[in-house]
Amino acid sequence: MTSQTTRSANPTVSRVRLERRLEQPRWLQIMSPIILLGVALLFGAVLLRMVGANPWAVYSRMAGLAFGDAYGWSDTTLKATPLILAGLGVSLAFRMRLWNIGAEGQLFIGAWFATGVALHLLPETTPQPLMLLVMAVAGFVGGALWGGIPGVLKARLNVNEIITSLMLNYVAIFWNNYFIYGPWSQRGFGLSPQFPRTAWLPRFTDYAEQFPFLRGITAHFGIFLALILAIVLWWVLRQTKWGFEIRVLGDNPQAANYAGINIVRNTVLIMMLSGGLAGLAGMSEVAGVVHRLQERFSPGYGFTAIIVAWLAKLNPLAIVLVSYLFAGLLVGGDAIQPAGIAQMLQGVILFVMVGGEMLLQYRVRFGQV
Amino acid sequence: MSTNPAFEMRNISKRFPGVLANDNVSFAAAKGEIHALLGENGAGKSTLMSVLCGLYRPDGGELLIDGAPVDFRSPRDAIRAGVGMVYQHFMLAPSQTVTENVMLGLRDTPFVLNTPQLAAEVEKIGAQFHLPVDPHAMIWQLSVGEQQRVEIIKMLYRGANILILDEPTAVLTPPEIEGFFRTLREMAAAGKTIVFISHKLDEVLSIADRITILRGGKWVDTVANANLTKATLASMMVGREVLFRLDKTPHQPGAAQLALSQVQALDDKRLPALRKLSLTVHAGEIVGVAGVAGNGQRELAEVIAGIRPVTGGAIAVTGQDVTHAPPLARIQAGVAYVPEDRSATGSAPDLSVAENLALRAFRKAPLAGRFVLKRQLMQQQAQKLIAQFGIATPSPQTPSRKLSGGNLQKLILAREISSQPQVLVAAYPTRGLDIGATEYVRKVLLEEREKGVAILLLSEDLEEIFALADRIAVIFEGQIVGDLPANTADLETVGLLMAGEQVEA
Amino acid sequence: MGKPPIFRLFSLLLIFTLLFTACAPAAAPAADGGAPAEEAAAEGDSAEAAPPPATGGEASAPDDGAVQIPEIEEGKFNVAFVYVGPVGDGGWTYAHNEGREYVETEMGDEVHTAYLESVPEGADAERVIRNLARNGFNAIFTTSFGYMDPTETVAEEFPDTYFVHVSGFKSNGANFGNLFGAMESMKYLVGMIAGARAAADGSNRVGYVAPFPIAEVIRHANAAALGMRQTCPDCQLDIRWIFTWFDPDLERQAAESLIEAGASVVVTGADTPGPVQVAGEKGVYGVGYDSRNACDVDPEHCLTTPYWNWGPIYAQIISSMMDGSYVGGDQYFDVDSGGLGLLGFMDGQEPMAGVPEEVIPQVQELLSQMQAGEFTRFDVFTGPINNNKGEEVVPAGESLTQSDLEGIDADLGATLGRDGCTFCMSWLAEGIVPDAEIPQ
Repeated sequence: MTSQTTRSANPTVSRVRLERRLEQPRWLQIMSPIILLGVALLFGAVLLRMVGANPWAVYSRMAGLAFGDAYGWSDTTLKATPLILAGLGVSLAFRMRLWNIGAEGQLFIGAWFATGVALHLLPETTPQPLMLLVMAVAGFVGGALWGGIPGVLKARLNVNEIITSLMLNYVAIFWNNYFIYGPWSQRGFGLSPQFPRTAWLPRFTDYAEQFPFLRGITAHFGIFLALILAIVLWWVLRQTKWGFEIRVLGDNPQAANYAGINIVRNTVLIMMLSGGLAGLAGMSEVAGVVHRLQERFSPGYGFTAIIVAWLAKLNPLAIVLVSYLFAGLLVGGDAIQPAGIAQMLQGVILFVMVGGEMLLQYRVRFGQV
Repeated sequence: MSTNPAFEMRNISKRFPGVLANDNVSFAAAKGEIHALLGENGAGKSTLMSVLCGLYRPDGGELLIDGAPVDFRSPRDAIRAGVGMVYQHFMLAPSQTVTENVMLGLRDTPFVLNTPQLAAEVEKIGAQFHLPVDPHAMIWQLSVGEQQRVEIIKMLYRGANILILDEPTAVLTPPEIEGFFRTLREMAAAGKTIVFISHKLDEVLSIADRITILRGGKWVDTVANANLTKATLASMMVGREVLFRLDKTPHQPGAAQLALSQVQALDDKRLPALRKLSLTVHAGEIVGVAGVAGNGQRELAEVIAGIRPVTGGAIAVTGQDVTHAPPLARIQAGVAYVPEDRSATGSAPDLSVAENLALRAFRKAPLAGRFVLKRQLMQQQAQKLIAQFGIATPSPQTPSRKLSGGNLQKLILAREISSQPQVLVAAYPTRGLDIGATEYVRKVLLEEREKGVAILLLSEDLEEIFALADRIAVIFEGQIVGDLPANTADLETVGLLMAGEQVEA
Repeated sequence: MGKPPIFRLFSLLLIFTLLFTACAPAAAPAADGGAPAEEAAAEGDSAEAAPPPATGGEASAPDDGAVQIPEIEEGKFNVAFVYVGPVGDGGWTYAHNEGREYVETEMGDEVHTAYLESVPEGADAERVIRNLARNGFNAIFTTSFGYMDPTETVAEEFPDTYFVHVSGFKSNGANFGNLFGAMESMKYLVGMIAGARAAADGSNRVGYVAPFPIAEVIRHANAAALGMRQTCPDCQLDIRWIFTWFDPDLERQAAESLIEAGASVVVTGADTPGPVQVAGEKGVYGVGYDSRNACDVDPEHCLTTPYWNWGPIYAQIISSMMDGSYVGGDQYFDVDSGGLGLLGFMDGQEPMAGVPEEVIPQVQELLSQMQAGEFTRFDVFTGPINNNKGEEVVPAGESLTQSDLEGIDADLGATLGRDGCTFCMSWLAEGIVPDAEIPQ
């Protein structure tokens, strides 16, 4: 077609020009995240230098905080868990070119459902496994309903899912706020009462009695759920008929329709699964970390998940890796104050990685006569 | 026609990753000459012309315009030097008028536009070269042929003296082609140089002054158009002898496998495209649908495949009613469909060749169990089909977007035919294919006919329809206006029917 | 081959990248950190910028953007502060950071301080607090209500580290205590000034920007209403709930709404000086909150600011920790501690231009009684007090207890080992517009 080359925009500079790569070499596909991370850190270093900090000291402390010891890994795992779950959800929808931007809202609704189960549906005395199972199912269902709304609107009425899913984020957050300041509030504060212990996802540190080295490892078993689902999703997409349908739909919906694949049904289904996974992220946050519903318990995991899914090129296994990288970046943010600098640094690193990914699709050509 | 070369390309080489698209090719044309550039798909015609019009820079060789060396960095440079190209895919803004499109992208577009004056110029150019277009019409209102005229006017308005036309007749009906050739002659008479890219031998023979043949990226020969035959040209193109006649067994129709009665459907703009169309195809016959593009062919194929809803009438396949059945039910009923648009409809470009080959059969044994795909068997199946249909692909894992048009078409045919259909709808199956691939596709269609498949063939190539079809159904404004036995039908009658004339059959 | 939708998505993604960084943890403006502080030392914050003057020239930008890595210094008593907002918020967090700087200046030889700002409440807070404890900080001050449970959790895990939580109600009698002060006394004085102003303007209406319907906020608003009635018996206090501590936009909108409803003085209970700014723009008067520089945005239209003066309180607590005498309990300081201030009325300050002459001596008189410990928060809330519907809430002769002030009900009191409240802080005092309700 027409996009094979870029036309040189500047006729006076003749020697160098950018050309769209026809094919990304395989080495580049594999190496690109690493190269980009390096470049991003370099940019960040310049920024840190400018504000008068020692980049090496900051970076080594960031790395130390995030990956330096078991505690660091625990903290990073704690952040990676919701990112993996929501990232898987987002990637699933993106695979079908359904731009589900609503993971944040789906996460909140999932948390809301799980909270309803823990505080109001089941008695405190419910055995822990049953309690957690019902909470997980409820969280998934809640997220699925929330994701299903844009799905149905898209499938039936062709309403743009970017807009509906985005707007539903705000609805979900306000819905949550209504409950935590109203009916489910603890003394008017923006939080619900604490869950009974039976509704807490087990944390590693809970087993410190038997295994003393786990003391202070506050990461919870949600990470197992996340890892298992990543593998399951990877396998389903690769090896099942339904996974194949999704891949065809994602690659060329018109061809999928032609091949007898049901677009309407799959659109709704995928949006529901996508929302359900984000809902699980919400359940795992309230049951594993905050142990109650509260305002802003998610610092935008649902949005970060979009970037995670993209940088992982929608590959479920890569999502695990990228989530850890990201979680490390968030945890490492405590390494430097004021927080604005840490955020700026995170922003620069992200921007370079996302933007650089695009640039790597081009190559520099040195013109010859 | 003078002997001064209007442009000269010397020893041009252009390499793409893995392909040497042009290997030391030299090519020149004189002022006032119509020069045809002939070759199979992948022979390097388009690449060579892209170099001439500034889209690519060659890796080697030089380019002279009017005897002076030039170095184009962009199509803009080329246009300034008087070289303009009309692509197969037009570059027009559909919601703008003809005049506005002509102005679009002009280098020195003034801030305040003098539209009436421009419109007058557009009309003048149109009149001079027999390119009648309403300067105030919106592009989307125009037929493909008219849009092509706009493209040509655009180039002429920009002062192009060298016009490159990339397979210009592919989108035109026979009467339009006549008018178009007249335009080309007028332009040549006015001193313009015309490079005519084609692989249709008849056309080349009827219009070109000289013919340059490329094969596999290399220059083969440049010959004057005198005492040439199709056969010689074809063998130069393909590098071997080519047969133009097809052997066909007598017509022995079986049961009615596909029956459309009073079918109505809308086009993409939600206007009626099929108006109570009725048509029957029997087992073991090929029905060729002839018609001017845009008379409902696309919609006809799509309602049969089930990807376009039917608003009235009924469709039956092997006697079962499938009028409102989804695509999957049609597939299960035995309908195979070779779509008009190979890459947009017929394949999933990023999926592998093997996966594309399984697009129909992946649901059932042997390729799948209840839930799980059997990748191993998929692979074997793919290898079998690749060998059987001669699909040129590095491996079954290659993404299908890397295949050439001909090989992609073979892939689609392989997939559709290997599903052992009862009914095969083939829409423009040889469009854009080179001679070798065309030959192969036609052979496969005839084989299927032998096996008793009911085949509906849509084609813009009347020659093809006459060669393959047992019956010719002429479509005009969404209706079948004539249904003639192929062996007694004559070209003139079919042409008149296509144009909407009433003919006593 | 070309895939325009993918490219469009890329652009979308870039936007999200920005969005992510813009609103990541808490809605913290990153601007302050952006000002390059060339002279800032790379290792820690030893090269501290001088604390800004009490009343400075320009707006709320405290240019102490010195970059620091929060680490301990060997051989010193290391204290860390966890802030909910950015230190440049010109309000709550700014005041705490001023307190930290005070400690650094006054006790710098023996004490090292560090801070973490914009730490979201909840899971992140727990992580941050735990890491600080793990890294060897001797004392950790957590300065937002939402840090209460995380602080409690971590305090249990690190019995050798001191934890002080500001604005909550939990403690463990050992290494974990809570801390707050009688801002209601200052709000009472604010009410007197605002009432006098509204009477002088003839509007007889004062507005109050209220963050959350919780005991602390209700207490402050009630105190302001009671004070207002002292100087302007006909005045009414209008109220807007914004359900946030820190949202510059919402705070401004609430102020605008109050002014539109007729208020000629707007008192804010939220964290930024936005409402003061709005008051100035509309030509009426504002009263800031939290930090002494809240009036800097528009001194001409700012009547006063009740502020926290954490420095001396922190210094005293840290000293007691260093000599081992600190016991974590409920610490609630009154005006006589020096931990509270009222802009324009403290030593060496002049009342702002907008304060009506006649009210100045009254305020000065009561303030000096407060500073002498003769008039406390319990005197502010002494019966008879009616609610805003005219019904009696506190009979004559009764005073509220600490549990009443904090709205600690019987259930919660039982878990804390305290008496529950009788006149729980869940009513609006007379003077507040009759149709105002506490949102449920």
